[in-house]
Amino acid sequence: MKRRIFSSLLLASAAVFTAAGAKAEDTVKVGVLHSLSGTMAISETSLRDILLYTFDEINAAGGVMGKKIEPVVVDGASNWPLFAEKAKQLLEQDKVAVTFGCWTSVSRKSVLPVFEEKKGLLFYPVQYEGEEMSPNIFYTAEAVGQQATPAVDYFLANGKKKFYLLGSDYVYPQTTNLVLLEYLLSKGVPLANIGGGFKKDESGKIISAGKYTPFGHTDYQQIVAEIKQFTAGGKACVISTLNGDTNVPFFKEYAAAGLTAETCPVVSYSISEDEFRGLPAKQLVGQLGCWTYFQSIKSPANKKFIDGFQAWLKKSDVPGIVKEGRVTCSPMVLSYNGVYLWKMAVEKAKSFDPEKVMAALESGISFDGPGGKVTTQKNHHLTKNVFIGESKADGQFKILKEFKDVYGEPFLKGTFKAK
Amino acid sequence: MSRPLFVLLSLIWIAFTGEQVRAEGTPQEIISKAIAEEDAEIQASQIKSLLGKATPEVLQLLRQWKDGEIYLYTDAAGSKTVVIPEGEKDSEDKQIFHGLSDGRILNDAEGKPLKLGSSDVESADTSSSSRMAIKAVMDMAALLDTDLKRRLQAIQNIGLEQDPEKLPELKTALAIEKDSSAIRALNESMAFLEIKSDDPTVQLAACRKLGELQSIPSQDVLKGIIVEASAGGRPELAVAAQASLEQIAVHVRNVNTAGTIFRGISTGSVLLVVAIGLAITFGLMGVINMAHGEMLVVGAYTTYIVQNLFGEGLHLSPFGISMNIPGMNATGWLYNSYFIVALPVAFLVAALVGIGLERSIIRFLYKRPLESLLATWGVSLVLQQLFRLIFGASNVDVSSPVWLSGNWTVNDVQFGWNRLFVIGFAVIIILLTWAVLNKTSLGLLIRAVMQNRSMAACMGVRTDRVNMMTFGFGSGLAGLAGAFLSQIDNVGPGLGQKYIVDAFMTVVVGGVGKLTGTVVSAVGIGVADQSLQQILLSPVLGKILVLVAIILFLQWRPSGIFVTRSRSLES
Amino acid sequence: MNTLLTKREGIGFGVVFFILLVVMPVAEATKLIDPFTLNTWGKYLCYAILAISVDILWGYTGLLSLGQALFFTLGGYMMGMHLMLMIGKLGQYKSDLPDFLVFLGHTSLPTIWKPFYSFPFALLMVILLPGLLAAVFGFLAFRSRIKGVYFSILTQALTYGAALLFFQNDMLMGGNNGFTDFRTLLGMDLRSPGGQRSLYLATGLLLLCIFLFCKWLTITKFGLIQRAVRDSETRVLFSGYSAANFKLFVFVVASVIAALGGMLFVPQVGIINPSEMNTEHSLEAVVWCAVGGRGTLIGPIIGAVSVNILKSWATRAYPDWWLIILGVTFILVVLFMPRGIVGLPDQIKGLLNRMKRKPSETAEIPTAIAP
Repeated sequence: MKRRIFSSLLLASAAVFTAAGAKAEDTVKVGVLHSLSGTMAISETSLRDILLYTFDEINAAGGVMGKKIEPVVVDGASNWPLFAEKAKQLLEQDKVAVTFGCWTSVSRKSVLPVFEEKKGLLFYPVQYEGEEMSPNIFYTAEAVGQQATPAVDYFLANGKKKFYLLGSDYVYPQTTNLVLLEYLLSKGVPLANIGGGFKKDESGKIISAGKYTPFGHTDYQQIVAEIKQFTAGGKACVISTLNGDTNVPFFKEYAAAGLTAETCPVVSYSISEDEFRGLPAKQLVGQLGCWTYFQSIKSPANKKFIDGFQAWLKKSDVPGIVKEGRVTCSPMVLSYNGVYLWKMAVEKAKSFDPEKVMAALESGISFDGPGGKVTTQKNHHLTKNVFIGESKADGQFKILKEFKDVYGEPFLKGTFKAK
Repeated sequence: MSRPLFVLLSLIWIAFTGEQVRAEGTPQEIISKAIAEEDAEIQASQIKSLLGKATPEVLQLLRQWKDGEIYLYTDAAGSKTVVIPEGEKDSEDKQIFHGLSDGRILNDAEGKPLKLGSSDVESADTSSSSRMAIKAVMDMAALLDTDLKRRLQAIQNIGLEQDPEKLPELKTALAIEKDSSAIRALNESMAFLEIKSDDPTVQLAACRKLGELQSIPSQDVLKGIIVEASAGGRPELAVAAQASLEQIAVHVRNVNTAGTIFRGISTGSVLLVVAIGLAITFGLMGVINMAHGEMLVVGAYTTYIVQNLFGEGLHLSPFGISMNIPGMNATGWLYNSYFIVALPVAFLVAALVGIGLERSIIRFLYKRPLESLLATWGVSLVLQQLFRLIFGASNVDVSSPVWLSGNWTVNDVQFGWNRLFVIGFAVIIILLTWAVLNKTSLGLLIRAVMQNRSMAACMGVRTDRVNMMTFGFGSGLAGLAGAFLSQIDNVGPGLGQKYIVDAFMTVVVGGVGKLTGTVVSAVGIGVADQSLQQILLSPVLGKILVLVAIILFLQWRPSGIFVTRSRSLES
Repeated sequence: MNTLLTKREGIGFGVVFFILLVVMPVAEATKLIDPFTLNTWGKYLCYAILAISVDILWGYTGLLSLGQALFFTLGGYMMGMHLMLMIGKLGQYKSDLPDFLVFLGHTSLPTIWKPFYSFPFALLMVILLPGLLAAVFGFLAFRSRIKGVYFSILTQALTYGAALLFFQNDMLMGGNNGFTDFRTLLGMDLRSPGGQRSLYLATGLLLLCIFLFCKWLTITKFGLIQRAVRDSETRVLFSGYSAANFKLFVFVVASVIAALGGMLFVPQVGIINPSEMNTEHSLEAVVWCAVGGRGTLIGPIIGAVSVNILKSWATRAYPDWWLIILGVTFILVVLFMPRGIVGLPDQIKGLLNRMKRKPSETAEIPTAIAP
């Protein structure tokens, strides 16, 4: 009896794996690999939505090289081994031409060997720590130099003298803060004016700068009290690489302690319009964000993008899709740009073969996206515009400054010399 | 004065003072012009021209501007008018506007009042430079403000700017100031300005004064003075600054200790509020309710719904179907009281969900406690995904009512209102729970059933019903906790998961089945957590140490702080 | 029950392991099934080992440990450290140091890392470290007679604390990103189908050995006492046995088994990071046991494989609904199938018999296992 159950299970699984059979010939399969459940669903679900919208938009306009895009959506479930399994499945069984996906560094790291081994192509859309350049990944993401350092420039220009570094304890904040530490020192900011604490190795070299809290940390009383004392003397600011979810308890505590954007502004690298939906926007007026796109950009391309997405949402029948109060944000636009860049590269290479498409991408392709022109670089990153914005009561950002055509450089550590 | 001469004089005056614009006219006209101005510098100087002329009316306008309540209207011809809404919105969400500079109501071509919706006008933005200018005007006005809090903030801001020219104004303010905390702040700010003085004796005195005042903000300035003084060969100043710094350091230590104790108690109260429901369902009933966290989320989402019903209405798309429920559009105190209404509603909703859960699943598992763990974990997975499908995967925004934001500062130790509230809230919940268990007939039945289910059944107690009510009560308490958590944390599908381990730990350390134990352990864990964080300067290490301490503690007292004594061998 | 396997069981298990160990790899080598399927099954078998470790604690000794994922992950980390060093200069930075250490600005290998160049040492640590941790924790817990729910909650606390520790970048264990990008093991290319197949075979063999070992353990006198502890610890004590020592031994054995599973899990999935220590993963393993049927040794294997097949399928076919499908399955299993899939035939038989005999007889779900 047991044997029978067992073998039937085996059969069932085999049936499942082959069920994803071939469809009509005039479609091209494209993978969507994001977490739709678990802790990261909060951020990644929006990217799934925008990708599906982009595919529909392209299909309505005739598809890619005459072929309609057929999305294969899988759920990584915020579980990193499952991400690797899903990546293998997409590449081996569904034989997708390209995959759009991942949010966290660890999810990217877990699928990277899979994409390299199976010679796949992945578009990665979320700001990250750099220090990586896989031959099989194209990073539409913001590199550290396209987000962190421009914001510091802005603060320095505004007469800020003290910088408190705060982040979630993972690689992106750790690396960003180390780069920022070098950058601040190179701009003549003394070590004593950089808050959050340092850790040194045996030789006295700083290997970690700033204050770190674990994921899902809820109690920021102590840290806010520390910031309050740090900033008591004025001319101070906070540079926050807190991961999306923990920003709410942090900012609620921050506001309760009487700290405001006027007394001590916070620039948050991980809060976009999308995260703002869950934040008390009215208490946060004037806090800063730095991205390569804001919904408030006034351009025909952006208007078309936003209107198109909203109209698509209204009639979408994806189960559980949120239709009300939706916004657009940088990771969403970078996903959108990624799809179009891929389409253009395919058309340039006249092939869906990942290697040829990557070669076309490396040759430099420009696309006029909602955030302005983006151009692919040889190092698998994008040249794009960077914007600094301050938040308004309605959760949108007012653009304060624009840096045109910033080059995407993944390897920034050790490039700034201290004064 | 003839007109050309006036213009000439004005020009000379502008050149002389370096001020590019000299705004004229009523404050309304000046603000109106400033809002319409594109150039940030001119805009700032226009605002600054209001310095010293700030009537409450002007301040009100500036505040409205900052809060985005003033709008720009572009008419068909393309010319812009600065406008303020008037009266209530009509059924189409439109309202009448009047011009800011002349106060006249906007009319359409036929001369009738023009009604505009939010898409017809754009909110007048502020930039950081204009906000700084607004702040300077407001600060000056605020020095004489009747509201103490605003006055204190203004005094402090002027001090931090260290602009020696403002010293006379501070002196004037000091002469008429009656409030002791404001006098202290004025003295502090004056010392901040005096330390910039060219007169060595004034500088020295200011240095000492800052030390005596134990002024925390002055630390950076004093450190700067030490560097300057050592370089400039003025050892006596350096010594004085050093002494002051030491005085302040002692004060900082005391503030931190007091702050840590308060923060510990508040963290403990949060734990207690979160764990109290579990102390009933797990502690008393023995159900290992892994879905306890999701009961918190039910409470938090209920608060969100109530808030939106009081405010702009609820827009949801459960399972992809759009749903719009109009809200009451309440403002002011009515809106701020939404939280008071949300509390009992959250209790009821969570209690109902709990009762549903008990009836459908848990009642079959009273004899298999470890399996109740698995089943309720399944429930927790299902609920989490249901929340996602109903409310979306993103967090939703629950704003704090005005009376819960802000803080009360005594001698540099801060007591946040939300934190004070949670302490009070915890006390009330404990008293209520105690009263329900010990002073009502339901409580008597609950205790009877929990002590010996079959004996109680023999005595004619309808244990089935009591179980249902008890579980509902515990779940309701979790709902209350969730309503509170919405004030300090994210409201999203994963909220409950963050608290579940802590909640179980609190109940186990306290001793299962003992409310007093839960109280003691919650506060103990809270204070230990915050103190370790303060000492180790790392939130993670603190938390790990607390966990280790808990494991070792249970080693010493395997049944928690308070043990339920029983003659049963296999209890 | 004094022979290792009855004839019927022997044939059954023989066929199962024949399919797992011979048919599937051969089918893969001859391209009947693709390498991905085999690799995924390798992962399932690692989970099956984890499930067995939960089962000999819970199903046989009555100790519900929520810390098995911790031991599983620890085993994985020990193997991961060796694998990280085996990358050599093939990493991003072309350095002898693992990438994340270069990343954090280290210039030399920390001392605790050095011995992991040796595979036997790594193997020893896979067994030693989790074993030691289990021994210390178990000694403390069982000495003070912590049992039942308290034991579950305590192991949960232990896991939670360890996860927090490993999440820290200062631990020099890769922080949140953990270890990835493995290349070779014992000179074998891990990314090639051949390498994956060898790992699959190793996993299958290990599972077989662990299965036989546990089977042997349960039919000895030791196994009897084990079950006696589960059913009534006090009576075991009064009979003159030291229940604490028995429990400690089982706990250590179970932890080492979990660690061995983790050891083979890491090279197959290509990543190990602290979120594997999540309490959720321990709970999941417990659920696999419950679904398959606890108190049997084949149950956990069936449970682990079937639940994971369900998960692999549902995350692809119904990305929005799969958690609900999974959750409802767990609830239904707990409520209506207390003996899991393995007990289902008996349950149905019993139900049919009862319906045939007396419809009025009260329907009591057979509970062979005390809570």
